[in-house]
Amino acid sequence: MNNRTFSSTWLATGFALLTGCVLLASCAKKQEPPLPIFGEREVEGKDTVYHTIADFKFVDQDSATVTNDTFKDKIYVADFFFTSCRTICPIMKTQMLRVYDSIQHDPQVRLLSHTIDPKYDTVGLLHDYADRLGVKSDIWHFVTGSQEDIYKIAQTSYFATALEDKGEVDGFIHSGAFLLIDKERRIRGKYDGTKEDDVNRLMGDIARLEKEYEKK
Amino acid sequence: MRKNKFEEPRRNVNVNRSASTLRLCVFALQAVLLFACTPSKTDTSKALPEGSPKFQQYYVHGEELYLRYCSNCHQKNGTGLARLYPPVATSDYVDKNKDAVICLIRNGKSGALIVNGISFNKVMQPIPALTDIEIAEIATYLYNTWNRREGIVEVQHVSKVLSSCDTIPQ
Repeated sequence: MNNRTFSSTWLATGFALLTGCVLLASCAKKQEPPLPIFGEREVEGKDTVYHTIADFKFVDQDSATVTNDTFKDKIYVADFFFTSCRTICPIMKTQMLRVYDSIQHDPQVRLLSHTIDPKYDTVGLLHDYADRLGVKSDIWHFVTGSQEDIYKIAQTSYFATALEDKGEVDGFIHSGAFLLIDKERRIRGKYDGTKEDDVNRLMGDIARLEKEYEKK
Repeated sequence: MRKNKFEEPRRNVNVNRSASTLRLCVFALQAVLLFACTPSKTDTSKALPEGSPKFQQYYVHGEELYLRYCSNCHQKNGTGLARLYPPVATSDYVDKNKDAVICLIRNGKSGALIVNGISFNKVMQPIPALTDIEIAEIATYLYNTWNRREGIVEVQHVSKVLSSCDTIPQ
């Protein structure tokens, strides 16, 4: 009987099912490679030594001392800003607040915002800023310190630009980057903190990095 | 084969129907999957409020200026940010203080400000570079978007207000 019509129908159905499966597979999570490790590296004997964040000591919005040990066994996201900035900082803070909302119940992740205008951004002012933003100080640290220390760590450890420049609108040049730091103090991602898409990528990478530690 | 096909059309109908139903289901499934894979994008484009060409020009320029000078803090959709930057979309302060708003766009603002019952207290820097007409355009945008339909804010009115900001209650 009508074998030909019948078989062509099934052929079409089969093809449709197959493409459906391909689509489904493309949606499904792939086995993802580890995140890259940023910066220069040296090989010492059998070990590779990676670029790491240098030692630091700052003071946060609760007058608490914040050092590398504050982030021991934590993943953290760092950025540089100042409270009186009208250009990119409010956008960065809007985006960092999204990151905060996504990690606030995750004990493994912390946020670290450095002011690059420590003369103006006192502990009291940072406290008010964080309070108005409605965030908890044990999760999101807003730190101040000597201007020299902050600029140095920005440039040599985080590869982020921070400079005073009276010619600029608000008196500073700085990058809007968010840096993802792993538990070994290594930079594992750099994102444009003014772009929603890039910050989505950051939030995905935080989860990826956590998975890397689960495997260990 | 072909002969059979024409001779037995009735039998064919059922087979074809069930097969085509199946195919329809599969295609529907594919469509769903395709959409599931595509990142959803909300349409943010808004229709231009009706009005004279002059009104529309003010509104369009006003939106551009809002996005350049105001939206970093007050957000593109006017919601503000937490208790740091007050909202300008749903805002009793903006609704009730048009002249004060015209003044603070140029002169900035400091001190406590209650908006929708919430106290804000960060300094808003002045923007002295804005001309009278640019402030009229921003005000036209502000007062004709986010459910406000107050019509054009004329530059003559803005100039008059700006010359007497000292006397306007904030």
